[in-house]
Amino acid sequence: MKNFNYKQFLIENSAFVTFVLLLIIATAIMGTTFFNITNFVNILFNNTIVGIIALGATIIIISGGIDLSVGSATALTGLITIAVINATGSIALGVMAAFAAGIFMGLFNGVLISYFRIPAFIVTLGAMQIFRSLSLHYWNGGGIILGRAGGTVLDIDVLGFRDFSNTRLFTSELLPNGLPLPVFYWIALTILLAVFCKKTALGRHIYAIGSNERAANLSAVKVKQVKVFVYMIAGGLMAFAALVEASRLGSMNSATSGTLYELQAIAAVVIGGTAMSGGRGRPIGTFFGTLTLGVINNLMNLMGLPSFLVGAIQGSIVIIAVLFQMSVSKMQKQF
Amino acid sequence: MFAVEMKGIKKSFSANYVLKDVNFTVEKGSIHALLGENGAGKSTLMNILGNILHKDDGQILVYGESFDDKKIAFIHQELSLVNDLNIFENLYLGKELKKGFLLDKKTMSHRASEVLGRMGVDINPYTMVSELNPSYKQITEIARALLKEAQVIIMDEPTTSLTEVETELIFNVMRTLRDQGISLIFISHKLNEVLEVCDSYTILRDGEVVATGKVSEELTEKDLSTHMVGEEVNTEGIYKTRELGEVILEIKNMSKEREYKNVNLNLRKGEVLGVTGLLGDGRTELFASVYGANPPYEGKVIIEGKEVKMRGTHTAMTNKIAYVPKNRKENGIIADLNIKENLALSVLSKIQSFGILKNSTLEKLTNDYVKKLDIKAGDTNNLITSLSGGNQQKIVLAKALCSNPSVVILDNPTQGVDVGAKMEIYRQIISLSEQGYSFIILSNEVPELQRTCDRVYVMFQGEIRQEFNREEMTEENIMLISTGGKL
Repeated sequence: MKNFNYKQFLIENSAFVTFVLLLIIATAIMGTTFFNITNFVNILFNNTIVGIIALGATIIIISGGIDLSVGSATALTGLITIAVINATGSIALGVMAAFAAGIFMGLFNGVLISYFRIPAFIVTLGAMQIFRSLSLHYWNGGGIILGRAGGTVLDIDVLGFRDFSNTRLFTSELLPNGLPLPVFYWIALTILLAVFCKKTALGRHIYAIGSNERAANLSAVKVKQVKVFVYMIAGGLMAFAALVEASRLGSMNSATSGTLYELQAIAAVVIGGTAMSGGRGRPIGTFFGTLTLGVINNLMNLMGLPSFLVGAIQGSIVIIAVLFQMSVSKMQKQF
Repeated sequence: MFAVEMKGIKKSFSANYVLKDVNFTVEKGSIHALLGENGAGKSTLMNILGNILHKDDGQILVYGESFDDKKIAFIHQELSLVNDLNIFENLYLGKELKKGFLLDKKTMSHRASEVLGRMGVDINPYTMVSELNPSYKQITEIARALLKEAQVIIMDEPTTSLTEVETELIFNVMRTLRDQGISLIFISHKLNEVLEVCDSYTILRDGEVVATGKVSEELTEKDLSTHMVGEEVNTEGIYKTRELGEVILEIKNMSKEREYKNVNLNLRKGEVLGVTGLLGDGRTELFASVYGANPPYEGKVIIEGKEVKMRGTHTAMTNKIAYVPKNRKENGIIADLNIKENLALSVLSKIQSFGILKNSTLEKLTNDYVKKLDIKAGDTNNLITSLSGGNQQKIVLAKALCSNPSVVILDNPTQGVDVGAKMEIYRQIISLSEQGYSFIILSNEVPELQRTCDRVYVMFQGEIRQEFNREEMTEENIMLISTGGKL
């Protein structure tokens, strides 16, 4: 058995360590107003949607790419979902439409990036505007509500869709509001993606491509296909997040839904220790990265600090995280 | 007084000693050859002199005074000129002369002409660098060194991509500068050139000086090469005569614009085939195409009698062709993956059950190759970057082998590998060829080809010029053909 290398542990689990430090600080400041189970459940629930989107962003960034379109894509996917449910009266068709739309949008980005060799930043910047503009155009800048058309209530029984996000389990004295289902989705998807990244050939190929695309190609890795697949998986995860959002609120808005999700997701990925240059990172890190952003938001709320300043603090944390990463990779080179 | 005096220089990278107590001196106004096989420590020593690397220990004197890198200019093999600027703009890049806010083109071009004239070269300083032939690009680099008033100029294999006429031009420039009191250090593998142009020489082997002296009438290429290779390395008994099988790979009329033209060759089962030439001969591009990494191409790749269109590297793998690229760091290893994953990268998707990687199979595969290729790996869960260069190269070789190929293309397979590990890799190649693997070795090291190959093709400017069998593949023959000459 080797000696436990605490330095190595800190480097590999920086996201988790940061999160725990933040918990301690938050508890020190706010005591049990912060440190209670109901508040924790709230933090988890409030960050589920960005958390799931950030999982997709993690594999994209590990593969050496970036996705700026995911916020607009979430809006468009949620709108399509509710529109399909309203039109057909079938929740199942709505869910299928969501995944079809999400995976197709991933395919669109992936093919342009991989086969047409356009930089990911440009493709997804364009896609961000395309998806948002299509949403605004079809829904006329407004929104859509589950089971309604304009002001009238439709004669269909679709409100069951809302249970997808709003069902709560394990309600008890200790947990008066229970645990909302989406929290389980988030945790389950994180574990699934972690296994995929670590334990499958495709997962390892994603790291190989992000670390050294030329060498991966020369090792007969199907670089182009893998890249497209990465954007498709991320598209599927985005669709899942859009379903949670549409179901939770029972409505979507073409102008406001999903705005800035792409940046929050990227921030979570960076704080989670994933290298922007690709090749390194873990879904579990992103999970704690998302929670770190969530705790900061929550803490500032509880302290009564101006909510407009949340972004400033979160932005600073992102920059600090990257600085930390750079010093770590310098340290590793010196070994 | 010496122009350069390096005493007791030591340098190590992690645990590897690259220079062990090296003494190196260059007389004022002389051309001094620095010789040695790849990995002997030449570049490291010169990088220390050029102030690119720092020595661990030792002393450097330049003109009897303490080390001053302003007096030293290092002209690298990869020239650092900007093609889209003209000669004098390149010479003054970053230190342009100005008249007020504007560039003083008149003075700059005038001084550039002066410097060029000092070398005995008559060329308009307004000529774009992109229009210059390789020898004039070298000359522009030398002019830049003179302009910064360097007293010592290090030239790293300046003649590799030059024709005989161009080489002669560079030599004349070198002699002219020497007569003006400038000292030149000439790094080269071409021993005939050393005898022709140099006044003195130093030979490095495994980080130590093994010989140094004056170039005289009696000195022969053989004297030099004996020192470079060294006697203690047992090179005998690596090559073995073997029964060769049917033709397994054929290349017919392959061409690609600006890279290679009209190439025909064949490879038999169990054969080790060498392909050599100088920089710019097109062999790397040719075999990248054969491996599917450089599409599209004209002509045919025929594997076991059937034409295969090589559109991607995966096509090559399914047709049992494997590839070890040159430049291990850029093309060979994945720095963020561990040793096991690097080794099995090409076959990861074949060692899954129910979509999950089987760690036991991965371990077994790794341990097999670690044993087979005698890789010093320690814990294979560590990152590949924890290994020494030679062992990394063996992992890259193992990666190619574990896809179970019938043809393995090796581009510069012993780059940055020390002599001992080199011999081991050669032995592995021969022993694998006895088991029916066929190899194509792309290399510019003739001894490497002589130790392993059954036949050698020599390329010049994208064309195969000559095929040699074992008896004919001498250093002289290969050098002659690869510089464009005829037998």
